[in-house]
Amino acid sequence: MTAIERRAFVQGAGLGTLAFVVGGAEVLLTPRQAHAERVPLRTLSADQAATLDALGETLVPGAKEAGITQFVDQQISGPPEQALLQARILNVRPPFANFYRAALGAVDAASTKNKGRKFAALSAAEQHDFVGGMRVNTIDGWQGPPSPFVFAVLRSDAVDVVYSTMEGYAALGIPYMPHIAPTQKW
Amino acid sequence: MANEKTANEKIDVVVVGSGASGSTYAAVLAKAGKKVVVLDNGPEWKLTDLISSDIWGRRLKPAGGPILLGGKNPFAYANQGAYAVGGAALHYFAQFPRYLPTDFRMKSEHNRGHDWPIAYEDVAPFYDKVAADIGVSGDAKAEEQWRPPGQPYPMPPMKTFPAGEVWRKGAAATGIHLIPMANGMNSTMFKGRDACIYDGWCAVGCPIGALANPLVTYLGEARKAGAEVRGLSNVTRVLTNAAGTRATGVEYYDANKERQVQEASVVVLAAWSAQNPRILLNSATDKHPKGLANANDLVGKFMMTHHIAGTWALFDDDITPHLGTVGAQFMSYDRYAKTSYPGAFGSSFIAAGTSHKTSDYALARGDLFGPELAAFMKRAARGLTHLTIFGEDLPQLENRIELVSDKDEYGLPMARLIHSFDGDAVALWNANFEQGVKIAKATDAKESWPGKGPVMPTAHLHGGAIMGTDPSNSVTNSYGQTHEVANLFMAGPCIFPTEGASNPTYTIFATALRGAEHLAAHWGSVAG
Ligand SMILES: Cc1cc2nc3c(=O)[nH]c(=O)nc-3n(C[C@H](O)[C@H](O)[C@H](O)COP(=O)(O)OP(=O)(O)OC[C@H]3O[C@@H](n4cnc5c(N)ncnc54)[C@H](O)[C@@H]3O)c2cc1C
Ligand code: SF4
Repeated sequence: MTAIERRAFVQGAGLGTLAFVVGGAEVLLTPRQAHAERVPLRTLSADQAATLDALGETLVPGAKEAGITQFVDQQISGPPEQALLQARILNVRPPFANFYRAALGAVDAASTKNKGRKFAALSAAEQHDFVGGMRVNTIDGWQGPPSPFVFAVLRSDAVDVVYSTMEGYAALGIPYMPHIAPTQKW
Repeated sequence: MANEKTANEKIDVVVVGSGASGSTYAAVLAKAGKKVVVLDNGPEWKLTDLISSDIWGRRLKPAGGPILLGGKNPFAYANQGAYAVGGAALHYFAQFPRYLPTDFRMKSEHNRGHDWPIAYEDVAPFYDKVAADIGVSGDAKAEEQWRPPGQPYPMPPMKTFPAGEVWRKGAAATGIHLIPMANGMNSTMFKGRDACIYDGWCAVGCPIGALANPLVTYLGEARKAGAEVRGLSNVTRVLTNAAGTRATGVEYYDANKERQVQEASVVVLAAWSAQNPRILLNSATDKHPKGLANANDLVGKFMMTHHIAGTWALFDDDITPHLGTVGAQFMSYDRYAKTSYPGAFGSSFIAAGTSHKTSDYALARGDLFGPELAAFMKRAARGLTHLTIFGEDLPQLENRIELVSDKDEYGLPMARLIHSFDGDAVALWNANFEQGVKIAKATDAKESWPGKGPVMPTAHLHGGAIMGTDPSNSVTNSYGQTHEVANLFMAGPCIFPTEGASNPTYTIFATALRGAEHLAAHWGSVAG
């Protein structure tokens, strides 16, 4: 980071939305809005995005619409010290994009090997079984970061976008009671 | 490539790290009239930056290097570390139990681990001073069933809520006495700082100052007394004179990645147990070929962390799990004796009933996903609560920080923190799960389960530059002054020779205050 970026980082820390790039300009959106507005992805490919959407939805219903893919893509496209990802807390070594590429690649490779289709093309029941296998490390031919770890990190991302927002609290009937609210309920 | 060094005026003391330990040194020495500069590699968050959100709170923690992890039970480094002026105490739970007399004499009492070179009685007055300085809420009289008497806390205990109170029945039925937790939080207004409003956002930072974080306590006092704090300042080495007998200051890289030298009469390393030894090892010279203060090969050794046995309980009633602080409401030392359980060794400390956020609910059943998780989240939001039992890890030489060949962005070796629990720790962890489940089953909970997975969870880090009676058994004396270089002090849990089972930060503050007051009182002979 340059000195100017560092200053902006510290000063901009009060913002609750994330900066997405739309038509060359930065706009502040929640991941849900970014998903609804089909904001172009910066790091993940279309295939990786489809896999992450499907995985997120299998892990936590609602995660796709809540913008799991836009959240992760935005987070792995910036400097690691600005990242809000659980991967950071779980000691994933930056750059975080490497972990996500390896994880999503491992999911699709194992799905193709065992089912003849990428993860996103599996039925909902097959997706559920596959994710259950990831959790207990029983996916045949899995190659990549340990599958239970991938399960834990992506599940946490999905929990973040569905349940850790002000909307998520409201959906569970829990008063959010912020001292300093994230803007736009994010 | 980094730019060349720029000149800084020589000062009295440079303190590396602005957390609990560093801020205490800075306050004492600045108030004693010394010119103090505090360097911290984290940004200078303001209270108004502390957004109430689990997601945004992660900015306050490290993201990657320079500490790599190894061993059978790697330490939860990023979760426990800091990337902030104010250190980890900017976002801690502020449970403030103290160590007990037995922690200071494990070797004499059990022929295990180490003795401290000081006794509980040497630290006790500093517990009282810290409480008066930064504010502690609790019931000292109730604690005195387990420890020698001392001063009352300046504030009454924190409020309790159903998610804590439900544990009382189970504890009583299993012979465990629960008393109010001692907290570094305000149950009432304290020195102009607001009282807590029990919204549970402490772990992402308390913007109202009800939590005793360094910004609103010692670091604030240090600034008021003239100390200068420089954030985004990454210290790489302690510099020494040609003879290797005195520290002359530190080398660091500033926010623009420019190399700087800060000369000082005294250097205090307060960069936590992982970075403190790394800095010493990276400060090797021809006079100190194995690293500074490391003639005896003890720098980076005896790393210790608590293991955690957590038990969850789910009630049908609405027990308002969202209310309270993230610090537990109740505590007990009833399993603190080192031989509490047959077949296991070490102290255990019980903490019951904290407030929870949605990420905690999801973690409570980390095996669930899909519709089952969604259904669980709804139940958890009304009825989930937790009891934690921290367990002691004995000092082992092979649990260590060592330099590795990978380099950081300044070209200095990163370090690896290698940690494995021994058989005693595993036995204690298992015994604590049994104890937790026994308590939970004796509550009115509909369901309860141990939060046990393949990974042994860890919290708090100690050791790496332990104190002792002489250079044959330690890196520092009881004040944190290194045996080898008289004007180099180590502060924080790195100097603890054993770790007890209590959360450490009250003892970190107390030992730092003891070291800082000693330094101020003996300034002439130390600073030269
Ligand atoms: C979520 C959480 C909850 C906790 N809850 C409790 C609790 O309830 N009770 C309790 O007792 N303890 C608790 N702790 C632990 C407690 O926060 C720490 O023990 C304590 O804050 C450590 O203080 P310290 O001064 O030793 O280190 P730190 O607070 O880590 O301060 C060290 C500082 O040094 C800086 N630094 C590191 N390397 C360098 C370098 N090379 N150059 C410049 N600066 C550097 C860091 O940025 C940091 O600011 C908790 C911790 C966490 C993370
Ligand atoms: S619960 Fe109390 S200490 Fe914690 S953030 Fe809220 S006001 Fe601060």
